[in-house]
Order: sequence, then structure tokens, then C-alpha cells
Amino acid sequence: MSAEPLPLVFEGIPLGLLPGAGRGGSDPHAVFSLEVRAHETVVVLGDQTSGVDRLAALALGLDPAPAGRALVWDTAIAALSRVRQLAFRRRVGYLPAGDGLLQNLSLRDNIRLPLRFGSDFQPDDIEGRVNVILAQLRLKAVAHFRPAAATEEERRRAALGRALAFDPELVVLDQPFDGLAERVAAELLEVARGGEVGEGGRRTVFITGQDLPAMLRPRVERLIRLGAVPAGARA
Amino acid sequence: MLEFFAAIGRGTTRRFSALGGPARFAFEAVAALPSLPGAGRRVALRVLLNQLRFTALQAVPLVVLLSALLSFVVIQTTLQTFNGLNEFIGTVMVVTIVRLLGPLLTALAVIGRSGTAITAELATNTVMGEIRALEGMGIDPYHYLVLPRLAGSVLSVTILIVMFDVVSLSAGWLATSVNQASGGRYVTNVIAALDTSDIVLTVAKGILFGGVIGLLPCYHGLKVSRGPTEIPQAVTRGTVAAIASVFIITALLMFLFRA
Repeated sequence: MSAEPLPLVFEGIPLGLLPGAGRGGSDPHAVFSLEVRAHETVVVLGDQTSGVDRLAALALGLDPAPAGRALVWDTAIAALSRVRQLAFRRRVGYLPAGDGLLQNLSLRDNIRLPLRFGSDFQPDDIEGRVNVILAQLRLKAVAHFRPAAATEEERRRAALGRALAFDPELVVLDQPFDGLAERVAAELLEVARGGEVGEGGRRTVFITGQDLPAMLRPRVERLIRLGAVPAGARA
Repeated sequence: MLEFFAAIGRGTTRRFSALGGPARFAFEAVAALPSLPGAGRRVALRVLLNQLRFTALQAVPLVVLLSALLSFVVIQTTLQTFNGLNEFIGTVMVVTIVRLLGPLLTALAVIGRSGTAITAELATNTVMGEIRALEGMGIDPYHYLVLPRLAGSVLSVTILIVMFDVVSLSAGWLATSVNQASGGRYVTNVIAALDTSDIVLTVAKGILFGGVIGLLPCYHGLKVSRGPTEIPQAVTRGTVAAIASVFIITALLMFLFRA
């Protein structure tokens, strides 16, 4: 019986060679390896020059790895054809740094967009799902706002809602809590985990950032700080 | 001397290689069409309709104004310059407006209104990380952003060119009547001067002009990488490239079809 593929694996990624990394004293020869198991919430922290802000894009195949590889369920997304890359990414929830909401769409339409574009759900089903997400993230009252009219907290909530639109098993959050109050960050983390099962969260969650609010630390299974790990060591 | 020619060669090579980017972009955009998912077609159609509203519908007053003013200027200039040419105003209108100025001015108006807006919008999307977010969600920016704008631009420019010509020729009929020339003779001259190639060329210009006006601003908007300060430069590059392309296409079509 073959083992279930791991949701996310980084193998021998030389972080110092990533664009923007390797300056300011970080070790340019350090390689990063990590296995994220199902139902885990794993956080990788590092400063701006550590290359941590590139990990989410590497995982989703948005950037090619200079060496090594990033695997999602045993698949290197960057190696797939463009069409298959796009189809594969719909299985992963992604919250990019700075939210990445489309400015000409309301918060509701931003959450609705991936469902309307990438699924064959009926319009009523899509509306039902969007309404559940809006309620879960307490966005109903501001759902008609454009991102520019919403607060940073509301935008981040909407971006998380969009990442969870397909109810993915794996969620990749790039600097999701920057600038948020601890209480809000804790709430968003709970929504991202999707509730608890025996092995941990219902979803597997991979988070990158520069810092993690103290209130959240007991809620994550593993916390890795880049620079504190010896070069080449398994985190 | 050798160095002089080498410098010319380097510059020429650089300019021709700069054509590669837009050409590859155009190829990738068209190649992306078959992979547009079924559900995505409905969303893309809505974006297309929005683009048509902005590029075609909202441009109608400007195009009507430009075409009416142009026909007035052409007729007045003809009458003042060539005394006794009243009988040939219909022919002059077809030659100057339908064959040359109508498509050109329409294209310039659309570049000024929509080409600049497309570049600025897509450059802002890029800088704000929205394009990466779309790709991260599994939505192809070609499907959601580029193809609807390309199709909208082609349809809009074609429709607006035809409208420009119709309004100009109608305004010409009014102007000839005001100038005590024969309206009936004007209509006869216009019909006699028009031939099938005028219709073919008008449609061809609509498609080609619309194509470059849709593609080049998208290309330069999505090429932005460094930050917000690059947005005005992208708008300038997109606008200049679209204007230059429209004139080059006009010259090429004239060379091919009138030689």
C-alpha cells in the first residue's frame, strides 16, 4: 500500500539565490528543505533578505526554483504545462502577500471570481457558497465594498475567503497576519485551519511571514525561523 | 567607418528584437483561447461586454463629433481650394475619409481613450500583485484580462470606423446641400467612388487596428515589474507603440492594395 503523498515538500531550495534574498548577511549557500504533513499548520518566519517571501510562490510554481524543487502532493507545479499549472493551483488555496484583491471588483465578487471562472457549479450554488464564506469571515455588511473602500482587516478577510473558495485541503498563506491585531490573526488562522480533526486542523496550512503573533504560536504544529536552522539541515 | 555601420546594425537588431516580445505575447494570447474553461467563458464574456461599453459605446459621441468636424473641414477646404469642384465632393470624401482619415482618426481616438486606460489598468493590476494572485488562483490572465480586451478592441474599432465613415458621408451630404451643390449628385459620386475593396479594407483595418490597440497596451501594462513609477512609462510605451503600429499598418495596406 503506497503512502499518501505529502501536501507540500521543499527539497534543497537555495534561498540565498532567490531574487531579493541573500543580502544583509544571510547565508547565500543555505538550502531549505521542509516536509509539511497533512493536517499540520507550519509557519516559516524570516526577515526580508532570507527569501521567506518567495516560498509561497515557489510552492505554487509561480516562480521557478533556482535549484532543488517544491512539490505539492508529489507534483512540481512549475514543471507542468501552463494549462495544467492553472488547473492544479485551483486545488490549493493561496493568499498572496498584500491580499492581491482585484480593485475593480467588490469583496463579494473577489470571493466569487475563482468559483465562477474555475468551476462548473450552478450560479445558485456559487451564491450559497459565497454567502457562507462571507458569514464565516464576518464580511456580509461590507461585501459590496470595493477593496479600496474596505479596511486592511476586511481586505485580508476577503482574500482569505477567496483562497478558501474551493474548500482546498492545502492553504498557502503568504504574510497573512502582517498589520493585523492578534485577535483577528487568531480568528483568521482558525478559519484557515477549517476546524479540528484527530490529526490537527482539517486543512493543511503553510504560512510564511516575518513574525507570528504570540497568541497564535500554540495553534501551530511547527514554527521554523530561517537563519536559526543550520545550512542544509532539515527543518 | 566600420564602427559606424556596426552601430547602425546593433541599433537595428535591438529594434527588431524588441518586436519579439509583443509577437510572442500575441501568439500566447491567441494560443490561450482553446484552453478557456467553459465556466470562464461566461465571465470573460461579461468582461468583453464591459470593454465594449467602455471602448465602443462611450466613444460614440467623440467619434460622431470628430467625423462631423472632419467632413466639414474637408468639404470647406476642397471648395475653397478647387473652385468648381463641387460636383466631385463625393469622390473627395470617399478618397480622404473612407480610405484614409476615417480609420486613422478612429484608431487614434480609441488609443487615446481606451489604449491608455488598458495599459494603466493592467500595469496597476501587475504592481498591486493582482496578476500573480489570479495565476495563484488558477485563473489565466490571458483569459480574464487580455482576450476580452483584445476581442472588445477589435469589435469596437471596426464598429467605430464604419460609424465614422457613415457619419462623415452623411455630414458631407448635409454640407453639400448647404453649399448649394446637388445632394443627389453627391450621393451618386459617393456610390460610384466606393468599391468592394473599400469595404474589405475598412473591415481589415478594423481588425488589424483593433488587434494592435488591444494587444500592445496589454503587453506593456503586464510587462511592468518594478513599481508604480513605471506605470506612466508603460502608458507612454503602449500608446506610442499602438500609434506607430496603426500608421505602419496603414502604409502596408496602402502598398499592398493600391500598388
